[in-house]
Amino acid sequence: MQCRELDVFFEEEGLAPLSAAARQHLSECHACKHFFDDVTGIVALAHQLPAEVDPPEHIWISIRTELIREGTIRGFSSERAAAPWWQSFAELFRSRTWATAAVAMVIIVVAFMLGSKPREQVMQVQEDPYSSTVTALSQQEHDLASMQLASTGETSAVDASLRQNLQQVNEFIADCERRVREVPSDELAREYLTNAYQQKAQLLSAMMDRGGSLN
Amino acid sequence: MSEADAIRLAQGGDAAAFEFLYRLHGRRVYALCLRMVGNPSDAEDLMQEAFLQLFRKIGTFRGESAFSTWLHRMTVNVVLMRLRKKTLPVASLEETTEPDEETGGPRKDIGAPDLLLTGAVDRVNLERSIEKLPPGYRTVFVLHDVQGYEHNEIADIMGCSVGNSKSQLHKARTRLRDLLQEEVREQARNERQIAKTQTGQAD
Repeated sequence: MQCRELDVFFEEEGLAPLSAAARQHLSECHACKHFFDDVTGIVALAHQLPAEVDPPEHIWISIRTELIREGTIRGFSSERAAAPWWQSFAELFRSRTWATAAVAMVIIVVAFMLGSKPREQVMQVQEDPYSSTVTALSQQEHDLASMQLASTGETSAVDASLRQNLQQVNEFIADCERRVREVPSDELAREYLTNAYQQKAQLLSAMMDRGGSLN
Repeated sequence: MSEADAIRLAQGGDAAAFEFLYRLHGRRVYALCLRMVGNPSDAEDLMQEAFLQLFRKIGTFRGESAFSTWLHRMTVNVVLMRLRKKTLPVASLEETTEPDEETGGPRKDIGAPDLLLTGAVDRVNLERSIEKLPPGYRTVFVLHDVQGYEHNEIADIMGCSVGNSKSQLHKARTRLRDLLQEEVREQARNERQIAKTQTGQAD
């Protein structure tokens, strides 16, 4: 077997199993043996590279939002008033186990704040336990609005979807805040409001990472 | 829920079915996009585009090929379309590597660094070199050697023959070897330069 024939063998049969003629040639030809060893090592290293990588969660949110908007996902009314005020967004949190953990964390944080503050501050926290969250998110949204567009200079589909999601989340937060003001005892409204703040924080974080802009 | 059930429900517009299919295949699709374009931002755009195309056309899926093959075919098409837009007109998507004319051997190796013995090749070098492959070679290499697809599956995904898939893979591996050898040479040059500079400073 000549070197060219070995090359054809590798092209048609791959690196394994080697024929007797191929093995014979490799035992005699240093260059081909060198090539074979290098390529075998490269393939072995390639096998170690992860075949699967976790995508950022916001991609699914963007895909889902778009599919709902264009009607590919059915059963969602475009008239928000036709559905209970919270139901249009409840689905987004349905499979989110982190939302439960987030609610528990907020409850713990608020309980700690209530336990550690003087009475007059406790009254203030009870009246508006979300004020620091709202302030932080507003600041983050303001910072994001000042950022330049991503280096491509174009608005990508993901950026557009993120901005649309942010608008929807802000509308939902406004609904929840109105509900909480009107019926302070509505625990479901508070739970959805907490989840919505978490969602907004995650969206803003994703947008800042991408260098997106609200403008 | 089985994949077949999810496909049937998704064809009827069921939200949970869409999510099931996304969760089932999303990680492999994202890994493929990431390896093909080399940066998370573009990979996210491409993944979103691929899944949107898939879900919009899911009503046309008849089960003639495996769903994952159909999805990967769509993903590869989306990625290659994007890469074609970015490629300079004079460059072709695939380059040919010709065996040495004199001996007909794979390569003349005189003086070339031994990649295995020096231990110079690591995952970082390899990933960097994969990004430098022409798109066609890169696709076949990633599908076969990273994601583990067989040549008949790759042929289905890329719309080529099994023989073409094998040929492209061999050329991709050969090209990668060249790129990695160049990478090792470059590192050695940099190290010699640094040593020279430090020696000069010590004198």
